[in-house]
Amino acid sequence: MTTLDTLELPETKDPYEPVVARLIETEPLTELERLFVFEPSDGQVLGHRPGQFVQVWIPGVGEAPISICSSPTRGRTFELCVRRVGEVTSHLHRLTAGEEIGVRGPLGNGFDMTAMQGQNVLVIAGGLGLAPARSVIEYVLDERARFDEFHVLYGARSPAEVLFRHDLIRWRHREAINLLVTVDRPDEQWRGRSGVVTKLFADLPRLNPERTCAVVIGPPVMFKFVVVELLARGIPHDRIFCSLERRMRCGIGKCGHCQINADYVCVDGPVFTYERMRELPEAVT
Amino acid sequence: MSARILNRDELLRLIDEAARDRRLIGPVRRGERTFYEAADRAAELDLDGPQCVYSPKAHFFPPEETLLTFERKSRSFVTHPVRHETPTALVAVRPCEIHGIRLLDHVFGAAPADEGYLARRRATFIIALDCFRPCRDEAFCGDLGTNTAHLGFDLMIRRLSDPEEGSRGAERFELTSATEDGASLLSRAGLGRTADRADLDAVRAYERSKASAFPRRLSCEADRLPEVAQRGYTSTVWERTAARCYSCGSCNLVCPTCYCFNLRDEVSLDGKSGARVREWDGCQLREFAVVAGGHNFRAAPAERLRHRVMRKASWIAQRTGLPGCVGCGRCDRACTAKISLVEILNTLAREQDHDHAGHS
Ligand SMILES: Cc1cc2nc3c(=O)[nH]c(=O)nc-3n(C[C@H](O)[C@H](O)[C@H](O)COP(=O)(O)OP(=O)(O)OC[C@H]3O[C@@H](n4cnc5c(N)ncnc54)[C@H](O)[C@@H]3O)c2cc1C
Ligand code: SF4
Ligand code: FES
Repeated sequence: MTTLDTLELPETKDPYEPVVARLIETEPLTELERLFVFEPSDGQVLGHRPGQFVQVWIPGVGEAPISICSSPTRGRTFELCVRRVGEVTSHLHRLTAGEEIGVRGPLGNGFDMTAMQGQNVLVIAGGLGLAPARSVIEYVLDERARFDEFHVLYGARSPAEVLFRHDLIRWRHREAINLLVTVDRPDEQWRGRSGVVTKLFADLPRLNPERTCAVVIGPPVMFKFVVVELLARGIPHDRIFCSLERRMRCGIGKCGHCQINADYVCVDGPVFTYERMRELPEAVT
Repeated sequence: MSARILNRDELLRLIDEAARDRRLIGPVRRGERTFYEAADRAAELDLDGPQCVYSPKAHFFPPEETLLTFERKSRSFVTHPVRHETPTALVAVRPCEIHGIRLLDHVFGAAPADEGYLARRRATFIIALDCFRPCRDEAFCGDLGTNTAHLGFDLMIRRLSDPEEGSRGAERFELTSATEDGASLLSRAGLGRTADRADLDAVRAYERSKASAFPRRLSCEADRLPEVAQRGYTSTVWERTAARCYSCGSCNLVCPTCYCFNLRDEVSLDGKSGARVREWDGCQLREFAVVAGGHNFRAAPAERLRHRVMRKASWIAQRTGLPGCVGCGRCDRACTAKISLVEILNTLAREQDHDHAGHS
C-alpha cells in the first residue's frame, strides 16, 4: 500500500454497479418521445433533486444519460421522457411493463430549489428541455407556498412535437401557474400561440429582477436568445440557471467526456448559473 | 527507517525479494527502447536504460478491462463486479511517473471511488528510481519540479555513483522508504548497510549535481503555467499548430496523466451474458465529444489541441491541486507531426510578453 490516503479507505459501493429499476408503465408522448415510469426494485427511493439525471443501462446495449422528468415529491417512482435517437434509446422504447433495466444515479447537481425559495420562478423550456423542466414545475406546484409568482414558457417546433400534453392541460387549469405555450410552425388545428419561445416574453408581467430566478432548458440556440431577454429584464447572472448536455460516459467526473473548459457537466452540472457559463467559453457553442 | 546503502547485486536481490510473492514489472529492453513489462528476475530489467516508451499506467489502469459482468434473465438481469488484485511489484518508476500515478490515484480515488482501480493500486508495490539528469531532450520535469518525488511510492532508489564512471563493483544505491510496506521489506531483506558519513556526503553531492543537471526548457515559471494557458485561450497558436495534427491520439496514449475512458457493453454469442468494459479514450480523437444527433463539441483539431494543452497546463491543476503535466516529454516525442507541448507553452508565454511590452 502506498501513502495515498484514498488507497487506505475502506471499500465503498462500486460506482459502475447499477441499481435495478422496474418499468411500471410507459406511454407515447409524440412520435419520437415516450414517457417511462420506473420504480427501484429494491424498494428504495431514488432520492433525486429536480434537474438531476440517471445513467440508464440496457445490459448488452449500453448506457445513456437521461434527465429525471418527475418531481421527488411524487413518491417512490421516477419518470423518464426519452427521445428515440440511437441504440440505447431505441431499446428503451421497446421495453414493456415489468421489465427491468439498470440505473446509476441520481447524478449531477440538479437545481438549487432552496435558493429559489421565496422568489418568483420563471421557467423557459424548449423542445425536449421540457422533460427536465417538468421536474422543477411539478416540484414548485407541489411546494407552491414556498415560492412567489410562477411563470412557465414552453416552445415546441410543431404541434405534433408538443410534449406532456396532459400535464400542460392540468397545469394550465391551476391558478398557481402562468403557463404560456408556443409552437414555431403551427398547423390548421393549432389554436395557441405561434413563434419562437422568446416571443412569449412580451406576454410576461413585469418581474422584480432582484426577486426572480430563471430556469432555462433547451437547445443551445435557444439559450443565447433567452439569455438576452433575461438580461434585458435585469435578472442577475447568478439567478439564471441553465441545464447543459454533453457526451457522457461515466457520469461521475472521471472519464473526461463531458468536460466544458475546466468543468465537468456530470458533476459540476448539468445545471450552471449564467455567471459560471460566462467563464466557460465552450459552454454555448 | 533510515536510508540503506546497497551495491548493485544487493539491489537486484532486494527487487527479487519484493517480487517473491508478486509479479515483477519493470523496464525491459527491446533494441534501443525500453518498456514496462513482466520479467522473471530483477537481472532481466534495464535499470540504466532510457525512459520507457509508455508510462507505467497500463499496469494498474489497463487499456481495456472488465468492470462488471452480467447475466440476462427473461425480464431482468444480475451483475457481478470484477476485481483484479494481482500483487504486483512495479520497479524503476521515474519521479515524473510517480506524479502521474498520484494524479490518477486522486482522480479515481475521489468520491465516488473507482473501486476497481483502487483494488489494483492497493495490490501494487512501487519501487521508484530517481533521475539524476534528464532522461531525454524533450523532458522538462526539471522546470515543473516533477523530477523529484517524496511520496507515492514504497521504496525509492537513488544511484549515488554514476554508472558510467568507475567499476560496477563500486556502485552505490541509496534506498529510502515512504511507506510501512517499503520499510518492512527493507528491514526484512536485511541487505546492504546503513548510511555512513561518506555515504551522506555522496547524497549531498548527488543532490547538488542533480540541482544543476536539468537545463531549463520552459520559458516561464511553472506556477505561472495555468495563467499563461488561460490567457492563451484565444491565441492563434492552436490553429497554426493543429493544422498539422493527425488527430491520432498518440500523445494521449503515451501520457502518464491521460486517463479519459469509454465504457461499453460486450455480449456473449448466445446473448445471455456479457460484460461492461472500460477502454482508454483520447481527447485528440475526432469522436471524443460527439453527442447524440452527431454534433461534435470539439470538431476542429485546434479545439481538441487546445483542450489537451489546457487540461495539462491548467484545468487538472485547478481541479486537483496536482500537476496536470509531469514534463516527461513523451507526447512531444510520440507525435509524428512534431507538435511540441513545451513549444506551445513557450509560444504562449512569448506572445503574452510581447502583448505586455506592446501595451506598456
Ligand atoms: C445530462 C443529460 C440529460 C439528458 N436528458 C435526456 C432526456 O431526458 N431525454 C432524452 O431523450 N435524452 C436526454 N439526453 C440525451 C441522451 O443522453 C442521448 O440522446 C442518448 O445518449 C442517446 O443514446 P443512444 O444510445 O440512444 O444513441 P447512440 O446510439 O449513441 O446514437 C446517438 C445519435 O448519434 C447518432 N450517431 C451514432 N453514431 C454516429 C456517428 N458515428 N456519427 C454521427 N452520428 C452518429 C445517431 O444517429 C443518433 O442520432 C440527455 C443527455 C444528457 C447529457
Ligand atoms: S500525437 Fe501529434 S498528431 Fe497525434 S493527436 Fe497528438 S498532437 Fe495530433
Ligand atoms: S461523464 Fe465522465 S467525466 Fe462527466
